[in-house]
Amino acid sequence: MRQPGTYSGILSGGVSGKTGPHSLPLARIKKIMKKSSDEVKMISGEAPIVFSKACELFIEELTRRSWMMTMKGKRRTLHKEDVASAVVATDVFDFLVNLVSECAKPEDSSPIKERV
Amino acid sequence: MERGESSEQNTKTNTRSSLAMTIEEETENSKGNNGDTSSRRPMNEQDQFMPIANVIRIMRRLLPPHAKIADDAKETIQQCVSEYISFITAEANDRCRREQRKTITAEDVLWAMSKLGFDNYMQPLTLYLNRYRQYESERTSVRGEPFVKRTVDYAQGSSFPVPSPAYAPVLPHGPGPGHGHPQGLFNPAAMVNEFYRNAQRGLPGGSSSNVHGLPSFDPYGQFK
Repeated sequence: MRQPGTYSGILSGGVSGKTGPHSLPLARIKKIMKKSSDEVKMISGEAPIVFSKACELFIEELTRRSWMMTMKGKRRTLHKEDVASAVVATDVFDFLVNLVSECAKPEDSSPIKERV
Repeated sequence: MERGESSEQNTKTNTRSSLAMTIEEETENSKGNNGDTSSRRPMNEQDQFMPIANVIRIMRRLLPPHAKIADDAKETIQQCVSEYISFITAEANDRCRREQRKTITAEDVLWAMSKLGFDNYMQPLTLYLNRYRQYESERTSVRGEPFVKRTVDYAQGSSFPVPSPAYAPVLPHGPGPGHGHPQGLFNPAAMVNEFYRNAQRGLPGGSSSNVHGLPSFDPYGQFK
């Protein structure tokens, strides 16, 4: 039986038929958790559930900060450069610095400059 | 809903499907995992990430309607999410190893997030987890016990006060959006059950810290 928005009434959590009330697929989360280290042995059933909500919050925060960069550049399209700028500007996102700079365009010195 | 401690079988299956380059994604198919288009590809890169559609949906919910999102931005954020999960999990796992525990629990995850600077997530996550736990306990408990019956079971003399509805959160009780199920999340009867159980344990009636009748869960117990 489908339980729409069961405990996501307070906090937004989208509904997907296959993943239940969680917005993100638990099996996928579990898979990524296991991949993080060879030493990860067992994961409680609740851990992916916490992550499904946490990832939502994370995406929201990253998106919000990236969008601020987009607006700063007076644009309406959120680009990867905006994400990179947001990461650099935020302490908690330090762990992402390498990831966002990996595919940075070589001649790109100012991330928020709009390319003509 | 995946329950449980990641049974041995599950572990092996997951390891196989993520490491073995040549095995077809039978496990993905048999789990019915979202029917992703990539179910046939061995060593599926997309398995490392959250489905992009979900990521985009969350982004769009947040952004103004006129906003556009470049494809590279979507992919980048998709990758960032996976990195986030790995980052937190590694920290949580370290803690488990130090304490010689084999299972990463929800508390470990919350602890790791707090330690790594995501304090502002604590409150919504703890709330979410509590709701989930309550939902689960209601789902698996005996249903349909009327309020009156409980009163009789736990009455300890006439002086025991009957809790008024004020002790339960006020919520629509009939069918409403998102509350089609009669034994919905905030079932006052079940919460009263908890209330009575707490009272039996000697907690002061009515002024218990578990106002909402949740089983005692101190989210910050490990942070002190």
